[in-house]
Amino acid sequence: MDKARAQLTWSLVIIVGFLTVCPVVMLALGSVSEGLTAFGDFTPDKYIEAYTDPALLDVMVNTVIFVLGSSVLATVLALFLAYLNTRTDIPFKFLFKVLSIIPMMIPHLLFSVSWALLLNPSNGMINTVLKSALSLESAPFNIYSLHGMILVEALLDLPIAYLIIAPAMASFDVALEESSRVFGAGTWRTLLRVTLPVLRPAILAAFILGVVRSLASFAVPSVLGMPGRVNVLATHLYEMIALGFATDYGKAAAVGMSVLATSVTLIYVYRALTAESEKYVTIAGRGYRPTMIELGKARIPLFIIVAVLSLFMIVLPVAVLLYTSFVPYTMVPSARAFSLMSLKHWSDVLQDPLSLLALKNSLFLALAGATLGVVLSIFVGYAIVKVKTRASGILESLSFLSFSFPGIVIGVGFMWFFVQTPLYATIWALLIGYVATYLPYGVRPMASAFVQVHAHLEESSLVCGASYLTTMRRIIVPLLIPGIVSAWILMATMFVRELTLSVVLSRPGTEVLAVQILRFADDGLWGKLSALGIIMILISTTLVVLATLVGAQFKAVEGGG
Amino acid sequence: MEIRIRGVSKYYFSEGKTIKALDGVDLTIPANQIFTLLGPSGCGKTTLLRCIVGLEAPDTGEISIGDEVVWSKEKNISIPPEKRGLGMVFQTYAIWPHMNVFDNVAYPLQVRNLPKDIIRDKVEKTLRFVRLEGFENRPATKLSGGQQQRVALARALVAEPKVILFDEPLSNLDAKLREETRKELKAFLGKLQITAVYVTHDRIEALALSDTIAIMRAGQIVEVGSPQKIYFDADHRFVADFIGRANLVKATVRAQDADYTVVDCGMGTIACQRRDFAIGSEVTLCLRPEFIRLVRGEGAAGKNVVNGRIESLVFVGEAYEAEIRVGNELLLAKFDSDVNLSAGDAVSFTLDPAHCLLVAI
Repeated sequence: MDKARAQLTWSLVIIVGFLTVCPVVMLALGSVSEGLTAFGDFTPDKYIEAYTDPALLDVMVNTVIFVLGSSVLATVLALFLAYLNTRTDIPFKFLFKVLSIIPMMIPHLLFSVSWALLLNPSNGMINTVLKSALSLESAPFNIYSLHGMILVEALLDLPIAYLIIAPAMASFDVALEESSRVFGAGTWRTLLRVTLPVLRPAILAAFILGVVRSLASFAVPSVLGMPGRVNVLATHLYEMIALGFATDYGKAAAVGMSVLATSVTLIYVYRALTAESEKYVTIAGRGYRPTMIELGKARIPLFIIVAVLSLFMIVLPVAVLLYTSFVPYTMVPSARAFSLMSLKHWSDVLQDPLSLLALKNSLFLALAGATLGVVLSIFVGYAIVKVKTRASGILESLSFLSFSFPGIVIGVGFMWFFVQTPLYATIWALLIGYVATYLPYGVRPMASAFVQVHAHLEESSLVCGASYLTTMRRIIVPLLIPGIVSAWILMATMFVRELTLSVVLSRPGTEVLAVQILRFADDGLWGKLSALGIIMILISTTLVVLATLVGAQFKAVEGGG
Repeated sequence: MEIRIRGVSKYYFSEGKTIKALDGVDLTIPANQIFTLLGPSGCGKTTLLRCIVGLEAPDTGEISIGDEVVWSKEKNISIPPEKRGLGMVFQTYAIWPHMNVFDNVAYPLQVRNLPKDIIRDKVEKTLRFVRLEGFENRPATKLSGGQQQRVALARALVAEPKVILFDEPLSNLDAKLREETRKELKAFLGKLQITAVYVTHDRIEALALSDTIAIMRAGQIVEVGSPQKIYFDADHRFVADFIGRANLVKATVRAQDADYTVVDCGMGTIACQRRDFAIGSEVTLCLRPEFIRLVRGEGAAGKNVVNGRIESLVFVGEAYEAEIRVGNELLLAKFDSDVNLSAGDAVSFTLDPAHCLLVAI
């Protein structure tokens, strides 16, 4: 038994190690070689070329402003919302739950596009309305700018920051605050001197995760940055490998190395911080509820802010896309616009062979990729939780590593690998890349499902006289099924919308939905884009709703125990 | 059924070191008794239990249950847990959260492929026995801790095993419920002809529940005996100290006579329960606080009268706990709560030789 387990663990270390380390090694090799097809001799040329590029300085400055700006904004907003939800008597608290889940159903690419449709300087709907209403000469807002990018990216990172900060806030020991009040500090001073410092690990963790995500973000910079020539590292890399006459994967790998190093470092800091924040909040569970702060007169104005935020994050993007998919060209909603509405874009898209191919490929990748990913995750989760050896420790670190991979950089690494194999330009290349990059999203739910299956539950079945197979069938599998289903759905949702890895690996014939949508955006075909986008949202929404239902079922079992 | 354990060792390897969880254990657990393995955490008691039930494989030795050898290194016999036909109550109860009470209890019968109506009868009977009738359709996770504990017991009993094993089954209950459940468990087990092996680190639980107690330390059995024997007449200092509060006083054997072993110690010359020690050897005198008996008035005569001074006095409800200074020794004593004493008072007390226990250092 022990031997079989050890063998299993080591073979998993090899598989996961291959999936996660291979693109990194290939990226490193690629950055010191001569070209994509022939490695040639070791050469530092690509580094010299990449880092002496005069455009790089601008890109770096933009990246730093974009990344820090959006992370700070996302963290502050999350802190504000978490505090309102857990500690005050603000009405309609279900909105907060909605705010933390719904944006996951709207792919980043479409969110960015919808903001471009609303606020672009030439014919953005809000700009057009304001221009005529206030008789301005030029558009009041320009989303194609660093400010616009920061705003949109912050809104996209807000849910994840909220999901980190809110639980920490909810399990906060109120006695710490109460004692501060007893010793004479007012609400504000208590907030600044006690509450925020105690929550610091969670706040920092949310901030760092925001940094990692915005550093890897490609949707926002490509849709909102590139039209205004505001390049950040992700789009800088993309330009090197996808645009222009001479694509240069070596140079891209050289730049990518430092992005990857930054990202991996930050993720390990994040990991240390979350471990610490768990240490901080385990003081909870003594049975009293936090006292609710009465907002009084501020109650309604604060609620309006939350409502507007929800409108911005959920209603507006979907509404804009839906509207755009029905009108012949970009126009402000009016009686005339409504009379011109038709299903033309929808029928165009559904007859467009390329869109249909993308739809087919994405569905295949979602179904096959999620299945493959979950099967691997089941074994990895089992090895991490149930086998406590050095090998399983290595496995845990390995399977967490890809959490930090910026898609576009790791895509370049995979490119260097796949070019050497017959997998190049096939759908299988995308499949392997997806599973490798998104493995943590499967491993995490599986690991927590295995934690739930206490060894005693299994052993007591054996003692009762059940064989190992019966135990598997009647005890282990039924307890794991909710975890398996939610891991599958989570991965499938990720794969339906996958953009950053796909823009690198996808080749003619292996287009996927997000790549096709990006192509429509480049060509300004907003109507078709919206129709295809709505189809994508429908697929992800269905999957997320299913996941939530299964999750609720899961909770019911867990809560009882 | 009798359980015989011969030369069982179990090693763990951790960070290049070998840890002996069990170190050559020889033990016979008599049939139809409540037999307790007692010891501090990490002494190997749970490992021994898991070896008996088959969840761990020892590295050496032989284990037989009744007439059947279930594990033997030499004869290469290894019966898996599901073939040993035992019952077990886990520390966490291990109630399956996805099944209701009925299915949890019926499980051992279902895996034995018994007919449905027999299963229903037996489950009903067992649930009545543990006083959970009417709970059949409850989700198992919606029960209280004490009820879950009884479901676990019913599940362990339903297939009528000859041996039932308990791994610290009361440690997850709160103090009051623990005491009630302990009494209940004793009553349940008393009605059955069954060998029960019980693992605990709680000495009160062990004393209250057991017919026989085995004290373990560092993977070895130190001493086996009835609760009274272990409490009053332990052979080992570790056992005497572990099983209850005791004053341990250094002493030297002065003389051996027909009834007593006489020792010299910081309290003077004390006559003790007779033990075979050579004259002049160093020993430990072990005194339980409740056997330090106050003598009223000055100058009381008789055996083992000691004079001292009360250094501190703490009222704990049913008694006073006093620290008495006698020369260099500080003794812990327990007095009835109606005595009229205060710190600083001079007192005399006697020590019944029968309760003056001598153990090797």
